[in-house]
Amino acid sequence: MSSVTRKVPARRRGLAARIWSERWAYAFLLPTLLLFGAYTVWPIISSLYYSMLDWKGLGAERPFVGLDNYREAFGDPLFWKSLGITLTIIAVTVPLRVGLSLLIALVLNNPRLPLARLFRTALFVPAVTTTAIIGVVMGFIFDPAGGPVNQLLLDLGIVDQPVDFLGDPASSLWTVMGVHMWKWFGITLVYWLAALQTIPATVYEAAKTDGAGNWAALRHVTLPLLRPFLIIILLLTAIETMQIFDLVLTMTNGGPFFSTLATEVYIYQQAFANSTPRLGYGAALGVLFGLVTLAFAALQAVGIRYANRARSSR
Amino acid sequence: MTTFGRRRFLGLSGAALAGALGVAGCTRSSEQEAATAAGGDVLRWWDHFQPLKPLNERIFAEYGKANPGVRVEHEVYNPNEMGQALQLAFKSNQIADVHTIAGLGSSEASLVASGWFAPLAGQDTIRAKLPADTLLEGLHVFDGKLYTFPFFTARQYATLNWFNRELVEKAGGDPDNGPATWDEFRSLAARITKDGGGQAYGWIQGLQFHERLQSHVIELAMSAGAPLAMTPGANEMGLVDPRTGDYAYAGDPFVQTLEFLLSLVRDKVVFPASTSLDARTARARWATGVAGMFFDGSWNIGVVNGQFKQFIGKVGVGPVPSPAGKPVLYGAPAPGQLFVSSQSEHVKAASELLARFTGPEFYKALATYMDQVPLDLEAVSTADVHPTYKRAVELFGQAVRLAPSPIVRNPAVAQVMTEMKEPRPTLGEITQGILSGELTDIRRTLREHAGKLAAERERATQVVSKKGVKVSLDDWKFPNWRPGEDYTAEMYQTS
Repeated sequence: MSSVTRKVPARRRGLAARIWSERWAYAFLLPTLLLFGAYTVWPIISSLYYSMLDWKGLGAERPFVGLDNYREAFGDPLFWKSLGITLTIIAVTVPLRVGLSLLIALVLNNPRLPLARLFRTALFVPAVTTTAIIGVVMGFIFDPAGGPVNQLLLDLGIVDQPVDFLGDPASSLWTVMGVHMWKWFGITLVYWLAALQTIPATVYEAAKTDGAGNWAALRHVTLPLLRPFLIIILLLTAIETMQIFDLVLTMTNGGPFFSTLATEVYIYQQAFANSTPRLGYGAALGVLFGLVTLAFAALQAVGIRYANRARSSR
Repeated sequence: MTTFGRRRFLGLSGAALAGALGVAGCTRSSEQEAATAAGGDVLRWWDHFQPLKPLNERIFAEYGKANPGVRVEHEVYNPNEMGQALQLAFKSNQIADVHTIAGLGSSEASLVASGWFAPLAGQDTIRAKLPADTLLEGLHVFDGKLYTFPFFTARQYATLNWFNRELVEKAGGDPDNGPATWDEFRSLAARITKDGGGQAYGWIQGLQFHERLQSHVIELAMSAGAPLAMTPGANEMGLVDPRTGDYAYAGDPFVQTLEFLLSLVRDKVVFPASTSLDARTARARWATGVAGMFFDGSWNIGVVNGQFKQFIGKVGVGPVPSPAGKPVLYGAPAPGQLFVSSQSEHVKAASELLARFTGPEFYKALATYMDQVPLDLEAVSTADVHPTYKRAVELFGQAVRLAPSPIVRNPAVAQVMTEMKEPRPTLGEITQGILSGELTDIRRTLREHAGKLAAERERATQVVSKKGVKVSLDDWKFPNWRPGEDYTAEMYQTS
């Protein structure tokens, strides 16, 4: 009772008094707040401001144009094309990555599997390798003139002419998606392995006592208990997949003829890389793309809430 | 044992941070003070000519010997970072005495108008050392005062046909000159590919990066007869037909050029990985003998000499192939490379130093680097350079004429170019689309592209005119231009 009587007046105290009473907590939060402000909040605010300028990024002349850049973006076919490509990458790679990594996680989660740690490490190594280096190396691996992939396909008689994986608009996006999936597969795998660790062994023991075999345990115990995690992993993977800039830039630079022009690459080209860079317009595209990412993040928040509810009702 | 308390740790950290900031803030002034204490002035020089660094520093050393009180501090920037460095330095009053303008994205005229530069001192001496017709009002001279001058020639192009003499000879081609016409090029490429049996192809090019590809298309189109007036630094937005002032991309020469390049793809004579290469990687692959021919500028032999020395004996060079074998190309007036800052306290000394970058000795020394071609082409003939470099420069002299430039006639054209937003896909991207089969109707695509450029130029011209600037679409027309002839400084007066 005494604790309640102490807390009620505390709530009525002013903000300054409350901050003062928790001053050490705020003092330790300050570095984080400063860094978050400098590297997250400030860039967002300045991007919003830049997006209303007709500015090349250099030069004193940067007239305020209001929403003109946004109007131009809505009528820019390349922006929509790039958004379509980004969403295609998400629609194709996310379900495949999530599904395949679940299968592999189920296998690797078996404590009796020999060399399970080695396999886990091997699958995770690409995730910690620098993406730009992977992009450059993949250029050699898929090289139609003597690259190992083409050499293998020719040796096996699968093709009679080398395939221009990265230079043909028909295959370039699929190749980039394949490499992206391979590169980040280990991350999704770790999510699933972590999720699998949350299932208590006692549940499996109970199922076994009830006569459930491996398949029945998977179908009636593992998968239902993993369902809440599926939503989170799907959304995390989707948001990660939107950040495909470095891989595309190093593998194809958005080409050939825009076939791999992910939105991030298009924004970069507009803001910095074009012969006449347009930082203001690039910032507007960035803000619009940020809104799309935000939509996914909102879905994720809803997903997490659903997952927590599902777990707590277990 | 020493122990650190929390307060002591924070105190020391703060002192260290303050010290570090102080040191960082004082570095430049300390350097200057040290130089002054040593009894001399410091001239600061910023450029982006990495390959020419040894030559520049040799000239600085010679200047230092002749002027014991002066020392030159030289900084070579990455061209991509140069613009930002200049902006920041200019705003904070710390810009170098002499600098280039790479990456600023503004024309010489607008920078002069904004007070960036000081007129050169000793103008008459510099003018006397430059070849006739080098200097143009609106590009180097403003209100009669000389602000800059070119080191490099306008008479050059980037689509020389560099070839592997062994492969060309084996395929029955001319190992000294290479193919002259498009038909010869195409048939030679087919023979090299056939002889190569999958190990060597007729032609290799960096097709992934469309900017360079665009340059090749424009130069091939000129070799096919496209007449072009040029605004330096404005890319495809600055290229128009001087007779009409209209964009020329929908004309036959451009259509024929793209059909020619497409025919090479269809003949399967293009090195398969070309679509994933840029100019540097294409050159590196070409130097391994996987392809017979490669389009590049005169600097190619300098790079081969530096990086692929074992290949240099196999290298031959010929002119840009053209439909009739007699190419005529046009070069934009050569802009100045370096300027003396208006913030400099050493304008006279900086101008004297700059003046050393003119004259036969300088041009001859410049040629030995086999990079950029010196302003005076004659200097190359007596320089110690690879024979293919001499040949390349000879070809430039034979084929390249000076194009008229709208910006010289009316410097306000630069404002229109700045206002313009380059429509996409660009000509280089369109070329990629055509070669990859994504675009099929060449003429229609080019017509639409020219239409977009024209509409954008009209819009930009209106925007600039509304600000009270005198500029009109007539500024792009040069009725006194004659095909195959130089457009000289006098011709601007009568146009």
